[in-house]
Amino acid sequence: MAVSYSGVTKSFRGRLVLDGISDVVNEGELTALLGPSGSGKSTLLKIIAGLTPLDSGRVSLAGKDVTNAPARDRHIGFCFQDYAPFRHLSLRENVAYGLKVQRVPRAQRQEQVNELLRLVRLEDYADQYPHQLSGGQRQRMALARALAIKPDVLLLDEPFAALDAQVRGELRSWVRALQQELGITTILVTHDQVEAMEIADRLVILNEGRIEQAGRPAFVYDHPATDFVAAFLGPITSLGGISYRPHELELVAINDTADAFTVRDVVRLGFEVRVVLKADEGTSTWVQLTHDQAKQLNPKVGQRFGVRVRSRVDSSSQSAPSSHETTHGSAT
Amino acid sequence: MKRPSLVLRCLVIFYVGALLALPLGFVFQQAFSHGWDQLWAALHNHAMDLAILLTAKVAILAVPLNVLFGVGVSLWIVRHPSKLSRIVDVVIDVPLALSPIIVGLVLELAYAQNGWFGSTFAALGLHVMFSYPAIVMASVFVSLPLVSRQVIPLLREIGDHQEQTAATLGAKPTRIFFTITLRSIAWAAAYGVTLTLARVIGEYGAVLIVSGNIALITQTLTLNIGANFESFNSYQGFVGALLLALVSVLALTVIGVARHRLERKRHGSFV
Repeated sequence: MAVSYSGVTKSFRGRLVLDGISDVVNEGELTALLGPSGSGKSTLLKIIAGLTPLDSGRVSLAGKDVTNAPARDRHIGFCFQDYAPFRHLSLRENVAYGLKVQRVPRAQRQEQVNELLRLVRLEDYADQYPHQLSGGQRQRMALARALAIKPDVLLLDEPFAALDAQVRGELRSWVRALQQELGITTILVTHDQVEAMEIADRLVILNEGRIEQAGRPAFVYDHPATDFVAAFLGPITSLGGISYRPHELELVAINDTADAFTVRDVVRLGFEVRVVLKADEGTSTWVQLTHDQAKQLNPKVGQRFGVRVRSRVDSSSQSAPSSHETTHGSAT
Repeated sequence: MKRPSLVLRCLVIFYVGALLALPLGFVFQQAFSHGWDQLWAALHNHAMDLAILLTAKVAILAVPLNVLFGVGVSLWIVRHPSKLSRIVDVVIDVPLALSPIIVGLVLELAYAQNGWFGSTFAALGLHVMFSYPAIVMASVFVSLPLVSRQVIPLLREIGDHQEQTAATLGAKPTRIFFTITLRSIAWAAAYGVTLTLARVIGEYGAVLIVSGNIALITQTLTLNIGANFESFNSYQGFVGALLLALVSVLALTVIGVARHRLERKRHGSFV
């Protein structure tokens, strides 16, 4: 276990931000701390880094208790959402900062900095100052600077939030590839569930200072432990009072085994099509169809269809919960 | 942005000209009106030279004191906000709002031999009033907020993420202070130093009261200039005024040029 914390509690001005939370992060894994703003995820990250003192609880790194160790002794790479570039230093000097602190000899330092700059593909910008770089470049600079001290753990606070959509997507897969290449234990804070599902080995979903659920992204998506997790991870629809993911329902021709609905609206969402339906007795639902399915059925407003739960062919091949897959709160 | 109209530009030039350039030009014109030989002789006036020396000695102590206080109090107000620091944040501006004469009188009330705690000092054989320490005290007082007013907004703007990042990279607090904090605020502090220097060498009212204005002993350059005008030796006064103006203009020019040059190089570090 690379990082573990237990009973972490923190209040700010009488408001409870973290309510005794515990988790274990495995060596080499990328964990996403996912939650809405104010859920305490950034505070937790800063507590792990030693930048914010905790009220009670313990934090350990590689089995060693570091609860009272200052940030400088924890050997953790930390990147802020704003990347916190040292504005008066060139890119090269930024990356070299941690090595200078460690008194790495000059020649060796330069070699390592060049290598890091190659790694983050910024070797052509080495003598530029942070204000001359784009958001994505600054992000990579912050990453190189954090990696320079060869940290045991990498902590990233909303690393892609300040970037525009295209750069964000590119950088996301690049960071994931880099993380796997280096095999560095990483905890990433995000409020974007799509980002978390795409990049993480494991999700930890926080809400109001508590862990709602933790586990593999696919498992958590398919088996949300709470209503909150279900709603936060993606759209949900319902049939007969039971919640489903939109793709779990299918539209069929009127027959005896399916409930009858009237089409109220058809919305084209890129590749997918959302069909909003209303039952005769007044309950409504919606179904998400692929482009091909929609073409085949060709639903029109006013037409009548049956809605039923799609038979799950892959239910047996669902990933089994891993040893530390935990659920908190009441299951639905 | 639209170019300001011709009328507006003329108005600004006229306003600045009438208030600043014209009187300043008059000082230059008067100081040079008697030719170079006379100017040379006036520069070697014994009383004025002693006054210049005293002003320099005051500035050498008052400016560093003000920088230490200004940077320290700024860090305290921004990084450790509390009820007390918020009060200090407001109170620190009082010297700017207060007439220097009042500042002088208050200091005299407190530190004169029969003052509130001047008597205690006197019992120890320390005579604060009408001496070098009193002038330094008055100078520091009147320029109190000049450094912190430059530094506080900058500290607020840059936040503490750079410092925290440096901590995660293994840096100790002193190293963080010198390599990150101080480097970030260096130009704001330097600008504050320039303003402080200009204010300290130019202060009149407060220094007049606390120094006693004793020629050759506690007379600063401004007091010397004043004394010369009062004794109808206005030429000598203009020469002193010329020196004062030159130092101020020089200080502002040096800092302005240096700042502009570095700003072009690393725009990001400045406001």
